[in-house]
Amino acid sequence: MDFMSNLALGFSVASTMENLAFCLIGALLGTLIGVLPGIGATATIAMLLPITFQLEPVSSLIMLAGIYYGAQYGGSTTAILINMPGESSSAVTAIDGYQMARQGRAGAALAVAAIGSFFAGTVATFLVAIFAPPLTTIALKFGSAEYFSLLVLGLIMSVALAHGSVLKALAMVVLGLLLGMVGNDVYEGTPRFTMGITAFADGLNFVALAVGVFGIAEILRNLENEHDRAVVTSHVGRLWPSRTDFRAMIAPILRGTGLGAVLGILPGGGAILASFASYTVEKRLSKNPKEFGHGAIAGVAGPESANNAGAQTSFIPLLTLGIPANPVMALMIGAMIIQGIVPGPNVAIEQPGLFWGVIASMWIGNLMLVILNLPLIGLWVKLLTVPYFILFPIIMAMCAIGVYSVNSNIYDLYAVAFFGLLGYVMGKLRFEPAPLLLGFVLGPLLEEHLRRAMILSRGDPMTFVTRPISLTLLVLACIVLVLVLVPAVRRNRAEVFTESEV
Amino acid sequence: MTAPFTRRVALTLAAAVLTATAAEADFPERTITMVIPFAAGGSTDLVGRVVAERMGRELGQQIVVQNVGGGGGSLGAAQVAEADPDGYTILMGTVATHALNPLILKQKPYDPVADFAPVSLLVVVPNVLAVNPELPVNTVQELIDLAKTDPLAYASSGNGTPLHLSGELFKSMAGIEMTHIPYRGSGPALTDVLGNQVPVIFDNLPSASGHINSGKLRALGVTTAERAPSFPDVPTIAETLPGYETYTWNALFAPAGTPPETIELLNAAAKVAMADPAVIDRMGTFSATIVASSPEELGAHVQAEMTKWEPVVQEADVSLD
Amino acid sequence: MPTDPKIPAPPAADQTPPPPRSDKTDIVAGLLLMLTAGLFGWQTTGLNIGTTLRMGPGYFPAILSGLLFLLGLVIFVKSFRSTTEEPIGRIAWRGMLLILPAPVFFGLTVRGLGFVPSIFLATLIASMASMRMKPLMALVLSVIVTIFSALVFSYALGLPFRRFGPWLPF
Repeated sequence: MDFMSNLALGFSVASTMENLAFCLIGALLGTLIGVLPGIGATATIAMLLPITFQLEPVSSLIMLAGIYYGAQYGGSTTAILINMPGESSSAVTAIDGYQMARQGRAGAALAVAAIGSFFAGTVATFLVAIFAPPLTTIALKFGSAEYFSLLVLGLIMSVALAHGSVLKALAMVVLGLLLGMVGNDVYEGTPRFTMGITAFADGLNFVALAVGVFGIAEILRNLENEHDRAVVTSHVGRLWPSRTDFRAMIAPILRGTGLGAVLGILPGGGAILASFASYTVEKRLSKNPKEFGHGAIAGVAGPESANNAGAQTSFIPLLTLGIPANPVMALMIGAMIIQGIVPGPNVAIEQPGLFWGVIASMWIGNLMLVILNLPLIGLWVKLLTVPYFILFPIIMAMCAIGVYSVNSNIYDLYAVAFFGLLGYVMGKLRFEPAPLLLGFVLGPLLEEHLRRAMILSRGDPMTFVTRPISLTLLVLACIVLVLVLVPAVRRNRAEVFTESEV
Repeated sequence: MTAPFTRRVALTLAAAVLTATAAEADFPERTITMVIPFAAGGSTDLVGRVVAERMGRELGQQIVVQNVGGGGGSLGAAQVAEADPDGYTILMGTVATHALNPLILKQKPYDPVADFAPVSLLVVVPNVLAVNPELPVNTVQELIDLAKTDPLAYASSGNGTPLHLSGELFKSMAGIEMTHIPYRGSGPALTDVLGNQVPVIFDNLPSASGHINSGKLRALGVTTAERAPSFPDVPTIAETLPGYETYTWNALFAPAGTPPETIELLNAAAKVAMADPAVIDRMGTFSATIVASSPEELGAHVQAEMTKWEPVVQEADVSLD
Repeated sequence: MPTDPKIPAPPAADQTPPPPRSDKTDIVAGLLLMLTAGLFGWQTTGLNIGTTLRMGPGYFPAILSGLLFLLGLVIFVKSFRSTTEEPIGRIAWRGMLLILPAPVFFGLTVRGLGFVPSIFLATLIASMASMRMKPLMALVLSVIVTIFSALVFSYALGLPFRRFGPWLPF
């Protein structure tokens, strides 16, 4: 088979001592910086990117890919340990991962995340190798109408993220969408909700929002009770997942991998949806959905796998089309150009060693990560035994540096404080942050695609139902809506009755 | 802008008094910061990093790159405009920061002429007009003819970007209508043109060149007055519409009031960097033409660009607050 | 949010059946949502709504503000017939007063004082938020954090922060 010889070429390039070393350095640095509290993948990559510019083309791409996976992994670790997600995907991990940590199951959560990521990464690497060219053609069939329908589907799914009131979750999604509107309008450049601050012209910083509503709000919550008792669990529990845990994670990992692999191919924001979609699916399929939000292992395994599979397959549009699916991919393109490689469909033909070498190194990078991180779990978990009053000032310092390093924008720091307060108030009023975050991420995309689709169809809203892919997605959205709302209504009723009778 | 003005006067006086001593001091005695007003990984960032590294070697001091993205480049430019005029903070400016934004922005965060001391115009980069191969046109003239009968749309990397305005200038000179579809950057715009969601695009030549070579995009014309050396077969738009010329450029600026000796040193270092074969080679892959001008030439260039774009901006009625 | 970490927490109370009564949390929540929606709506009034073909910058925000207001209203109305009652609980005043200003302080001073003094003071401020923190301990912790950050971010990674800024005499 052709792809076998290609893969062999790839592995021969990626497994030279030098490239293995760069892959390891990348993965290690990515993990170490990414695991600092409040510093997620974006900040990590912004900090480490310049290091890669001095290297050979293949080595620099391999190292950058290593940093990317390492940073994502580090981001998940802080999401689980201290409720500090550094990017949208680990926000989902934080929901149940952090609850597991509070119950003394941090080790299990971290192990599940590592195993799920590795499995998903392996499968997705092979998918990339086999299907990259045909999948690209599918991705190009997605125009704005299709993306809009996909995003609608995603938003409807997001309601399942809530474990409390559906109404309040919806309100948070809408508030998130509104916060996503902050900044200059893409079509006319009109500033919206910026309060005249030019630094917000490009929108609010995601890291500032996530760190604020999740992490800082959590610190404040932990501080409110310190009069009477020790604040955070110092009991650590077992490090390794139990046999039941293993059994519970297999199916979510498989489903998450599939979902993530498919969504990752879409360059217009598909990968963002992967972890959210996986969470929804797992909650729907679970025998006891009430467990979600209180430490469900499937709520960690599924989204983490989906996220990693999506991260992997989002290399498909990059390598075959030269089109970046996310800011990290844009950096990869930059790295290619600065090395004198013109990204585009010809890279695979003109530079087979580079093309397949990078693909092979993805798998090697994932392998290294899992080898690196499984032993480290013990160390990370020990961090939780550090007294909280020592831990949180460190967290605050790292947050400040991490947020500032992304764009040297001091207003991002003010935003952190504001969103910390918002997150705390929201918690007091029993609103949940995850739907807010999803709305924030999807809001700009939703509006952009809606408006573009309407312009391209010359104002005919039928464009969403006459295009087959779009129609399929909308039908799916309707089905999900029914599935989500019906049990919610039924359950609410049931709760009313049972509770007033018990 | 009165405050910077008075400050500038004060600084000029101070500089005059200190000139004797300042000239003696060895200029780069610590790290220089080059502000790149866009996110890492874009074309300005790449040009900046290559140049910063080579210039740093020449000056004997490291030049660190700081990406201050946002506001279409105006945040980073404003930061340098307010920085100490000592040569330790310099800006990698572009056509956006020093010609278009000042014309487009209603609130002007800086004055592109009064707040900066020009150092050197480094490179100019062509833009390209390209179509999806399924669109039945092979030349600029055929596109114009088609647009007169069929309503067309064109994609660009965003509202108020050089590419958007290249499209607007094209429309007004050809006397046609095309709907502008803005995107968040070149990447998504290219995707939609490759997938034939939008038939026409104005893009930077470097980011489109891979697709032109592979036949996924059909280049109709480059926007420069001369054909691009990397694409000798692609005609210029000016061959159909005489006088049409747009391009993206990158230039170094220091804050106004920087001592002339320092400017000279920076300019000399920039010239050495741009003559290095390795740098020339890198710039070739961006299809960038090296200029490496004097400070005076850059000053005149900024004026000329503002004069050229003003009517286009007004006609296209582009404005940002 | 469950306040006790060790209890996986069924959110509803399961002892006595509370009669339907008004839920103060949701009253406040609904009112705040309506207020927020109003603020966004008010900010939208200056924006061009456009048409369905050419949606203006105000089109989407206007719809969203309306939707948020409606949701707030429903939550507000429903709050008077609620069966759950969860107290708002203690409020971390001291935490808010010291934690939230820390990043703000860092933002205000990082360019003027420079990275090193700024991160030191920001950490010091944040560490005072806990009642368990002794002044000497806070000082030691801040010094360690500062040295660590300077070594990692400034020296090893070479981030373009000025270590000591122009406000300082040296």
